[in-house]
Amino acid sequence: MILRLRPFLLLSTLLLGRANVACAADLPALFAERTKSVVAVEFFTESELDRRPSITAALVADAEGTLVLPRAAVNTFLPPSKLKDFRVYLPGRPVSDYAQGEYLGQDPVSGWHFVRVEAKLRPSLVPVTAFTPVAGEPAIAEEFWGIGLRGKDEDFKPYFMMARVSHLQQMPERTVVAQAEVAAPGLPVFARDGGFAGVAVGGFGQSFIQYVRNERGQSVMLVNPEESSVFQIAADVTPWLTRIPANPSGRPIAWLGVYGLQPMDPEVATFLKLDQQSGCVVSEVLEGSPAEAAGVKNRDIILAIDGQPLPRFKPDRVVVGFVDRDISRRKPGEVVTLTVLRGTERLELKSTLVEQPKLLREAERIYFERIGFTAREFVYGDGIMRRVKLGARKGVIAHFVKNNSPAGAAGLQPDDWIQEVDGTEVRTYAEAVAKLAAIEADLARTEFVLLTSRNGETAVLRVKLK
Amino acid sequence: MKDSLQPSITRKLLVCAVVVLAWTAVAEGAVSRGFTHLLDAVVRIDVREESFDSGARRFSAGIGSGVIVSADGLIVTNAHVASPRAVELSVTLASLERVNATLVGWDHWTDLALLRIDLAEVKRRGLTFTHADFANSDKLSPGQTVYAVGTPHGLTRTVTRGIISNNRRFFADNRGVKGYETGLFNTWLQTDAAINPGNSGGPLVDEQGRVVGINSRGYLGADNLAFAIPANIAKRVVAGLAAEGAITRSYIGIVPGALLDLEGFYALKQNTGLLINSVDPGSPAAKAGLRGGDIVLSINGAPADGRFPEQLPPVLNSIASLPIGSVVKLVVKRGEQTITSAVATEKLESRQGEEWAFEKWGLTVRKVSRAYARENQLDDDTGLLVIGVQPGFPAAVAGISRGDIITKINRERVASLELAKQMHAEFVAKPAPCLFETETDRRVSLYILKP
Repeated sequence: MILRLRPFLLLSTLLLGRANVACAADLPALFAERTKSVVAVEFFTESELDRRPSITAALVADAEGTLVLPRAAVNTFLPPSKLKDFRVYLPGRPVSDYAQGEYLGQDPVSGWHFVRVEAKLRPSLVPVTAFTPVAGEPAIAEEFWGIGLRGKDEDFKPYFMMARVSHLQQMPERTVVAQAEVAAPGLPVFARDGGFAGVAVGGFGQSFIQYVRNERGQSVMLVNPEESSVFQIAADVTPWLTRIPANPSGRPIAWLGVYGLQPMDPEVATFLKLDQQSGCVVSEVLEGSPAEAAGVKNRDIILAIDGQPLPRFKPDRVVVGFVDRDISRRKPGEVVTLTVLRGTERLELKSTLVEQPKLLREAERIYFERIGFTAREFVYGDGIMRRVKLGARKGVIAHFVKNNSPAGAAGLQPDDWIQEVDGTEVRTYAEAVAKLAAIEADLARTEFVLLTSRNGETAVLRVKLK
Repeated sequence: MKDSLQPSITRKLLVCAVVVLAWTAVAEGAVSRGFTHLLDAVVRIDVREESFDSGARRFSAGIGSGVIVSADGLIVTNAHVASPRAVELSVTLASLERVNATLVGWDHWTDLALLRIDLAEVKRRGLTFTHADFANSDKLSPGQTVYAVGTPHGLTRTVTRGIISNNRRFFADNRGVKGYETGLFNTWLQTDAAINPGNSGGPLVDEQGRVVGINSRGYLGADNLAFAIPANIAKRVVAGLAAEGAITRSYIGIVPGALLDLEGFYALKQNTGLLINSVDPGSPAAKAGLRGGDIVLSINGAPADGRFPEQLPPVLNSIASLPIGSVVKLVVKRGEQTITSAVATEKLESRQGEEWAFEKWGLTVRKVSRAYARENQLDDDTGLLVIGVQPGFPAAVAGISRGDIITKINRERVASLELAKQMHAEFVAKPAPCLFETETDRRVSLYILKP
């Protein structure tokens, strides 16, 4: 069934493509030239037991071989050291002929991942910035086009997509929603004359109703992972192309320490006599954070940053992204003034941003093969998730548990928090690793005991090694 | 075509089998006088109860079984048959006459409830009934024949037969009785007598018709794995409910785990030790410094033995049976140390709070309990958990959804259900926009409910 459907889809794509191209003699040439600003990137994610390949499309950001991968291309919970063997393919060229790439890290503002390709491929690439960026906002019904890439088995053959502007929205970047798919997520979108118009973003779904025989329809949302009809306009995202991380961790990353920002509904603003004011509710102020030091309290409503009232967006929740962006584009050490509403009182609070506490992807980890699990350092985020006060943070987290291993058979699960080994509390990562390594190395050991915590409830697990 | 033939053959076969069985039973001496007497004490129970899970107060009906245990018309049934949510209870006597009944009390921990038949009505209509006697359930042995009597799937007065498959089964279920906890303080009788929905609350009896247990539950999808509350537990609970309408238990906040073969690891003497798997944060045990991984050696001087799961309920019950506020002396082994700790008990509370419907808001809620707050790591028991919203009503229009916890209304902390009821009454009397603050997964949102 699927085999029969595929060629049909391909055929229809080609037919549609031809219909558009027929009236535009210059497009094939523009398409061929601009295909040089896109590549396919493959890399391998190494885990305890296997290596898994990922494939994504990427755009060329500059003449130094810098490539930009979309936010979702890489699992950001994983340490960059687990990302191996980046391969860069030119669209339509034999896949046996690839170049090596190096992972540079993720930019906290755009969420983009950066990769640099080795020198030999650079002469074949043209950065998107070489194509005059389109100034201003696109008009309704204006035509835009972009590039999609077929699968690896088809040598990542580039193909053409085109659609008209359906509407424009601020989220918080100015974002175009087109009538149909216009480019692969992460790839550039071009104006009719070939100017650089923006970058396609993935993750937007469309609602459908799915009917199954003999049953009532049920609504589903479909997301096309390979093509997108949404793009952020060039004027707003071009500055991000130069935000190349200084190191794979993406640091420095500015941190304010407010958790669970929630948009303020316009009805609420009216009720609180804030009229057209937009705002963000701070659900929780994190312990030891700059926000706490500045005197921000749980449930304060942020109304302005550095005296600039938060803009009003639709949907309301976009304001959260706006605040996040505003903080993450700053540097640790910068002072930010928050205007907050507390009850009926308006307060100006000055906060000095600091470097973000150690992230999950920066946590140390080690796999104990005989016991069958990976111990990971307890980082700040683990404390937030488990509602543990700074002073009470200890032990390690089970990051991975191998099926049917001694640890797995004992009932250990990923994300369990290990607090004691053999009845003794383990204060630090080093302490826990030393104890576990001794057990792992002691071939005479038949069993040991872990005290673990899951969902706030502890349990004693007995691990049988023999 | 082939299908239509099949059942009739099966039916013939079934009829055959039933006849043979019946004949065998007669040959064995048929039923005892006690058993006939028991049959007159078994009732069908029809319940109409309210539910709050759809954003409004709704009613539903159910059927269960029960057994009359006193001459003044006390009926034992399951807590999941007759709960405080019941608004109408009627019992059908052996004579097939229907009489009203009222709830005396319930105890979800043992899944038991006590009803009282409307004696005035019984007298007025000249009806009669008998009452059953309890047997000593400690004397049951696996393999012994037992009978279940009840109303499976509405089939009134059904008798099924089986054996005691296990007389000390342990299982606890955190939300087993209408969302309330059950099974922590008692073991269960396991039987292979057929128990189906509707058998709930009916008696499990021996060949003399004495009640050995109250049928409560079965494994769905399994064959002949059913469970009953032992008569000795039921006797105690019935006495407590008849006297006070409720069973009050003491709580210290330890979650035990079976030691199984861990005693070697902890270097324990034979037949001792109760493993503490977890200690509820903020509970008396936590305040006394007890921790997960501690081994309780004795409780108030009595040695504690919790090596096997079925040994846990009696130990827990020994703590639960103490008067509230009593001091429990625990001798605890922690590593090499032996510690003595004194823990003052609190009243045991369910994680399930009271439920209510705010009709004009289109909102049904459940009060956040201390246990719920603890489980979900909330700061305290402030708030109402939304369990239903009615589409098109103010709460749904504002964007409140199931699972949200309402923490403030018009800037006032919702410390009690009463406060919300008062706010709702004001809203009904004088409709005006209300500001709601909710928390979901630790995210705080504000909503306006407009009339």
